[in-house]
Amino acid sequence: MRWGMLIDLRKCVGCHACTIACQNENNLPLALRYCKIFKVGPEGEYPNLTSYNIPIACMHCAEAPCVDGCPSGASHRRLDGIVAINSDKCVGCQFCMLVCPYGVRHMNKKTGAVEKCTLCFSRLEQGEVTRCVETCQLKARNVGDLDDPNSEIVRLVRKDNAQPLYAHLGTKPSIYYIMP
Amino acid sequence: MSEVKKVACHFCHMNCGMLASVENGVITKVTGDPEHPFNQGAQCPRGVSALDHLNHPNRLNYPLKQVGKRGSGQFERVSWEEALDGIAARLTELKNTYGAETLSSLGGTNRTDDFARRRFFNLFGSPNIAHTAPVCWIPNFLIEAASYGWAAFDPEIMNSRCVVIWGHNPAVSYLPEMRGLLQAKANGTKIIVIDPVFSETAAKADLWLPIRPGADNALALAWLNVIIEEGLYDFEFVNEWTVGFEELSERIEEYTPEWAAEKTGISAELIREAAQIYAAAKPACIQWGVATDQFGRGSSAGAQARAALRVICGNLDVPGGDVMPGPHPDFITDWEMELNDLLSEEQRAKQLGADKFKLNTWPGYQILTDNMVRVWGKSIPAEWFCEANAPVLFRSMVSSKPYPVKACIVLANNPLISYANSKLVYQALKSLDLLVVMDYWMTPSALLADYVLPAASWLERPVMTTTYGVSDWLIASERAIEPMFERKTDVDFWREIGCRLGQAEYWPWKSDEEVFKYRLEPIGLDVETYEEFVQCYRMAFAPREYRKYQERGLATPSGKVELKSSILEKLGYDPLPHYVEPPFSSEAKPELADDYPLTLIAGGGFMPFFHSEHREITRIRLMKPYPRVAINPVLADKFGIKATDWVWIETPTGRIKQKALITNAVAPDVVQAERGWWFPEKALIDPELMGAFESNINVCLDDDPNTCDEACGSWCTRAVMCRISKAEGED
Repeated sequence: MRWGMLIDLRKCVGCHACTIACQNENNLPLALRYCKIFKVGPEGEYPNLTSYNIPIACMHCAEAPCVDGCPSGASHRRLDGIVAINSDKCVGCQFCMLVCPYGVRHMNKKTGAVEKCTLCFSRLEQGEVTRCVETCQLKARNVGDLDDPNSEIVRLVRKDNAQPLYAHLGTKPSIYYIMP
Repeated sequence: MSEVKKVACHFCHMNCGMLASVENGVITKVTGDPEHPFNQGAQCPRGVSALDHLNHPNRLNYPLKQVGKRGSGQFERVSWEEALDGIAARLTELKNTYGAETLSSLGGTNRTDDFARRRFFNLFGSPNIAHTAPVCWIPNFLIEAASYGWAAFDPEIMNSRCVVIWGHNPAVSYLPEMRGLLQAKANGTKIIVIDPVFSETAAKADLWLPIRPGADNALALAWLNVIIEEGLYDFEFVNEWTVGFEELSERIEEYTPEWAAEKTGISAELIREAAQIYAAAKPACIQWGVATDQFGRGSSAGAQARAALRVICGNLDVPGGDVMPGPHPDFITDWEMELNDLLSEEQRAKQLGADKFKLNTWPGYQILTDNMVRVWGKSIPAEWFCEANAPVLFRSMVSSKPYPVKACIVLANNPLISYANSKLVYQALKSLDLLVVMDYWMTPSALLADYVLPAASWLERPVMTTTYGVSDWLIASERAIEPMFERKTDVDFWREIGCRLGQAEYWPWKSDEEVFKYRLEPIGLDVETYEEFVQCYRMAFAPREYRKYQERGLATPSGKVELKSSILEKLGYDPLPHYVEPPFSSEAKPELADDYPLTLIAGGGFMPFFHSEHREITRIRLMKPYPRVAINPVLADKFGIKATDWVWIETPTGRIKQKALITNAVAPDVVQAERGWWFPEKALIDPELMGAFESNINVCLDDDPNTCDEACGSWCTRAVMCRISKAEGED
């Protein structure tokens, strides 16, 4: 079992619904966003242009530098593949933020602990999809089991040759992207 | 007790279906309804903020009465009884002094049940309701109605082979529609986007035509020229079902792609190729885009050309084409609820602007209605489609000509921000003897009011979706909770004020649900209550039929599609497509071109806001905290402007400032300003009025009736000459 997500950049329009839905779902302070959307472009000169949007959150890496680098054992990889943080154990040293190549971990100044996308594991455990998948009007996101060859997500990853971001870093992320 | 209510989002008029979890009368969660056909379980950034909107500390909760000088911000809480009695007494007084037509109403986009507004006004005796309708859909709809008896506004994108997105950016304004578009594209449908800006939608298109702002009419005419000259049209349909094709062919001879290339900035080859793609793809459709209603003079002429394109290519009311729904056959429509027959001929004749703009006022509406009733049995509502012209109305408020307009009820609208020529609107509202505003929030316009009334939002009221009363489907949604505090629905407001003015016999319903139940009854479903309909059925879609004209004929005087419109001719307009230069372009006013060398686009929606709304909701606001004007890097360099610098935008009408968004999405001689900006965090006092004149681009737009669309009175928000400069220091 390895939970993963597929994000189709051909579909994302950068509306930020996932960003805000995630903030609400996790009751986050205003300045804290687990999921951010970056607009790339428009590149080129008018009118020869390209542009796309890319949502970025925790990549839930199988070889996660944040887990390896956590001195207190707060950051850990669950049996279902999700990288999670036990906030009771977090001492707020922020070393994980330094070693994460994706810059997706955030200090919650209120609690003094580091936080990030949980892949809504409590929702997944109840048979629901993640909040970002649920809210996406463009149906640009898909969540599923990357270890199950018959799952929808594996089928889609193969069909459109989806790739993780910065795969060359070797952290084996569980978030795949279909490039536009 | 815990239950799930089927509600409808009303943060735009898509009305996405939502599910509200209610525990002991308190809403705990709002999610998308997976069974709803539009959003299929999804929500946009506004939809996911539903609870922030409902419980926001700035929401209006009680009726307020201005006790200081108007605009002083000195309000006192009063009871609904006192507010309604006070308003009714003033209205009676003003009616006795000046006549019923002295009362006007302003609305924005659809957020209300406006059959009730019109019902009240017809009973009161005033024809002077205005919305922003002339710059949103109505010109396109009415030109289509004049040509073929209803608008073909339901393009079947999923079965289409080519979709033309013309002056429209669904990727930020209609996300469910964008989802359908991308699904269609994945299935092989060609997507053509026509937009001067490299929009979020253009970025996903197969073909983007980067048109010069305001030149859309020229492009449409050139497409007609190519399609007719090259014989790419549908001979059979044109022969059997249209009149005026010969005159059309003669007319468009002069509009060659070479002629249009100069106006549009698109090469003649590309114009030709795009026209060929559109004409060869069968079926194809042209999606309505709001930009095409906002060229001022010539907006209707452009709509005539696009209507003709649909027709001659054989896409009218065919599967995968531009489907023309017609009215719902059973459901009691808005038109049937309005009681238009009770407004006398004498009062109809007083409608402001009706002498000049005849298609969306009583003269044209009456002709359209007669034809529609003959064929469909029902007409379109007078709300939106038969209204006083707002620019004329504002001038009457100021000058008392041709007669005094002394009272205005503003409902679901912030006119200082949403109508062109904001300074004139300000003067107009200040000239009134009675201004009543009903809203969710204290707005700049509400600050000028004598009474401010708290409106219930969509979680607190039932919502019935019928697309401005012109669709053959309806989607019914219930309220999740009773209105919080003393908020009320607009139906409640109109009924209660109506009953105080002797209209009681016409308002037999005690609640919105009772009205909706009454309207649903002819459908013949066995339900006890409105809520039961929502829970058990929710929707009523008329069976989809195509080529309905084969049995019914078309709702035009000839019973055919009129490529040369006899209705427009009768009203004194050019019955054929023709070219009109937008009123504030360098071509129309060359004498100003040196001083104002740039072209302003003052429209276009952008996430996460809807029109002038949602600036109060912090999570949303933090996504776009300040107004932005899009400037090409080459232009920015010329003025030494860097990203997020404040920039003055100036036209002969006025100037405002927005922050620079430096982007290649616009051409080097074009700037696009965001619209709808005011600042709820700024001073609640006249004349600051929450920054209503600081970054509001409508300050820069003129609404002189002589520059408005000839048939529908649309004011111009596109292709306006302007100049920019960097704002320095405290400036």
